[in-house]
Amino acid sequence: MAYDAQDTTSDEALMVLYANGDRQAARALAERVTPRVLAYAARMLGGDRAEAEDVAQETLLRLWRMAPDWRQGEAKVTTWAYRVATNLCIDRQRSGRRKGQITLDDAPDLADGSPSADQRLQDGRRVAALEAALAELPDRQRQAVVLRHIEGLTNPEIAAVMDIGVEAVESLTARGKRALAAVLSGQRDALGYEDDGHAG
Amino acid sequence: MQDKDLDGLLALAAQDRPTPSAALMDRVLADALAQQPQPFAGWVAPTPAPAPGFFARLAALFGGGPVLAGVCSAMVAGVALGYLQPASLDLLTGGLAGTGAETLDLFPSADFLANEG
Repeated sequence: MAYDAQDTTSDEALMVLYANGDRQAARALAERVTPRVLAYAARMLGGDRAEAEDVAQETLLRLWRMAPDWRQGEAKVTTWAYRVATNLCIDRQRSGRRKGQITLDDAPDLADGSPSADQRLQDGRRVAALEAALAELPDRQRQAVVLRHIEGLTNPEIAAVMDIGVEAVESLTARGKRALAAVLSGQRDALGYEDDGHAG
Repeated sequence: MQDKDLDGLLALAAQDRPTPSAALMDRVLADALAQQPQPFAGWVAPTPAPAPGFFARLAALFGGGPVLAGVCSAMVAGVALGYLQPASLDLLTGGLAGTGAETLDLFPSADFLANEG
């Protein structure tokens, strides 16, 4: 049977299929999990793409190795992957292997949902500013904010990833957002929040 | 910066998900296939047990080897008793009792009871 990233088969079922020798399940899992882990690791590592790719590959490698022992119902595959990626990112941050920091010059190209080249440029600069502001947050606040507001995890899922209580997650995300707002407030004009629909 | 500005910015960042390079996906898939368990590699179909031989089936019919041995012994004894000459039996009984089978006198000292007087 062929699976893909959009298939309705759950990640957990794909893990069992993978452990039973199904090669298509391996591909489907890789296509689902790798982009999420890569995006998360890139934000946790301040935009260092090479380091983020290493983290993503290592996370997936650990996922493959533990597949035979995977017990359905105990954890979601993505939650487990985020947790492993978090630990790998922390290890790299502590070992001082981070190489690059995001600046406004690293503004990504956002091709979708933007009506014009100016708007795309504006959105790219805003995202780059956010990435730079995220890099200034304490590690735990950055993890909580990225997992909650960018990766879209629920508070209980974040609690499982970070191995803390739900109340602690709520506190970290609230403090993280306040810190982000404070960091970005000085760039409000430069980011064009007075003249467009994002202003409030 | 107000909350809704920040929420909008975070939503914008959520759409900006880097696409894994083909090289990364190749490495991840290579790892997946290298680590994938191979449950059928060491599996060997069970060898069917050899069909039992004639004597095994015969013994099973009689309830086992010892029972078959007893039956065979009884058969041999029956054939011997049915076909051997009486003289041979005399030899056998003579050897045991010292006289022929048909002239064996179990109560030799009771003859006086038949005499009158």
